[in-house]
Amino acid sequence: MKPRLGSALLFLLALFPFAFLLLLSVSQRWVYPDLLPAGWSLRPWGDALGRGDDLGVALLTSLLIALTVGAVGTLLGFATARRLSLLPRGRRWLRLAYLPYVFAPVLLAACLQFYFLRLGLSGRVAGVLLAQLFIVYPYAVILASSFYTSRLRDMEDLAGTLGATPVEVARTVSWYLLRGPLAIVFFQSFLISWFEYGLTLLIGVGKVATLPLKVFQFVNEANIFYAAMAASLLVVPPVLLLWINKRLLFVTR
Amino acid sequence: MRRRGIPWLFLLLAVGPVVLGLGYALLYSLGLVGLLGRGFTLEHWGAVVRSADFWGALGLSTFIAVVTITLSTALALAAVLRWQEHTLRGLRTYAFYLPLALPATVMAFLIFQWLGDAGLLSRLAFALGLTNSTTDFPSLINDRWGTGIIVAHTLMATPFLTIFLANLYRSERVREVSQVAATLGLPPGRVARRLVIPLLLRQGRSTLLLYAVFVFSSYEIPLLLGSQSPAMLSVLTIRKLQRYNLADIPQAYVISVLYALLLVAVLLLWLGWSRYRRNTALHEA
Repeated sequence: MKPRLGSALLFLLALFPFAFLLLLSVSQRWVYPDLLPAGWSLRPWGDALGRGDDLGVALLTSLLIALTVGAVGTLLGFATARRLSLLPRGRRWLRLAYLPYVFAPVLLAACLQFYFLRLGLSGRVAGVLLAQLFIVYPYAVILASSFYTSRLRDMEDLAGTLGATPVEVARTVSWYLLRGPLAIVFFQSFLISWFEYGLTLLIGVGKVATLPLKVFQFVNEANIFYAAMAASLLVVPPVLLLWINKRLLFVTR
Repeated sequence: MRRRGIPWLFLLLAVGPVVLGLGYALLYSLGLVGLLGRGFTLEHWGAVVRSADFWGALGLSTFIAVVTITLSTALALAAVLRWQEHTLRGLRTYAFYLPLALPATVMAFLIFQWLGDAGLLSRLAFALGLTNSTTDFPSLINDRWGTGIIVAHTLMATPFLTIFLANLYRSERVREVSQVAATLGLPPGRVARRLVIPLLLRQGRSTLLLYAVFVFSSYEIPLLLGSQSPAMLSVLTIRKLQRYNLADIPQAYVISVLYALLLVAVLLLWLGWSRYRRNTALHEA
């Protein structure tokens, strides 16, 4: 096999799940043992997104939560990364940020349910926002810390020594050097929130319907065509990000 | 002026929830709080330790994590050895990056549609005359060995680990080291076996361990593709928590605390072992 043919096959294999989801979302009646569905139609897409009470709402809810959690997590993550970089044992503190991941998010949610109930946040968007921040924020701190280098701190100190005010330092030095990393951390934080299922289910008690919850709901209802539609919507943002720049999705430091 | 105090925001948002959550789980599991709280008791701990469900879940979670990480690391290593520093070039870049856009929820749904009794593979088998009905097709999902879960996780992990190992290959200058070894007379097969693979595995071991932990504690994929019994640990915990039988709730918290203790022990052992290896290497040098 020629090397290029092998790569092309690998690429087609990687495309297959996306093509399968899209085709399944426009399919009608796919009965065993047929290899292909009995028909195709775009109408379910119009119905689902146009009705305004189901998939469309889930899409908007997911967007609202992921954008908010992504933005807040990124800002707090960078502020904390800066703070930790100034501490003598900052690296040791940073190890604690892995705790929510070691303690699986879904189990964390299970153990925190009581507090959310007591605070009246259970089953509310605000509760899901806060719960997701508990896993997005430590990740943002870990990722932001890899960009908050001693070189950056030295540049900030130098600008300060030369007479720049803290606002000027932030605007001219920090923003200039960190705008790329800020975008990376925001996109990664957005995706964690966008994909989150278990924690959202437990804290939202099923009342805060996001796209991942819809996928499972449709699967449980044996409505595979709507499940494929929700799944297709779920993979749109990461694919778009890949299209913009593949380096934004995977960074090794 | 640099402030050197305690990072309160960090403690509040990153550490606080874990401490609060684990604290509540521990108190609940000991009968000190909650609906069934009748004072200190080890009854719920005893019930979990004696239950076959818990040990089955622990065994299955470990088995799936080990098999997944072994399979996906082997596949990723094969790709990096095949394409070396050109692994992430041209169409292959997209071939390895695109699957990262598939979340666990979607991957579980896809595997459900592909490997189920009436799934795509079963239909293909029927079309090729290999089976006559859905019952002839082997159970690849919801089976006791977690076949579907392993396939789903392997499909998710392999591209990620390939990208990770390909980046390591570049950053660790493995090509240059291999060339030196080849110049010194080591045959290509032995360069791969004795040099490249050990080097990549040693540099990437922390990430591999963290990924194994991620698989061990996964929820969405086993929820859709796993069997009722044994179930993976996360699924068993949430199932006990959401059952109508109130007596199961303290057991869910016992499993959560045991899970946390187990992983902390594994990570501490890992850190200790890494430190020991580093010190030994320094001593030998």
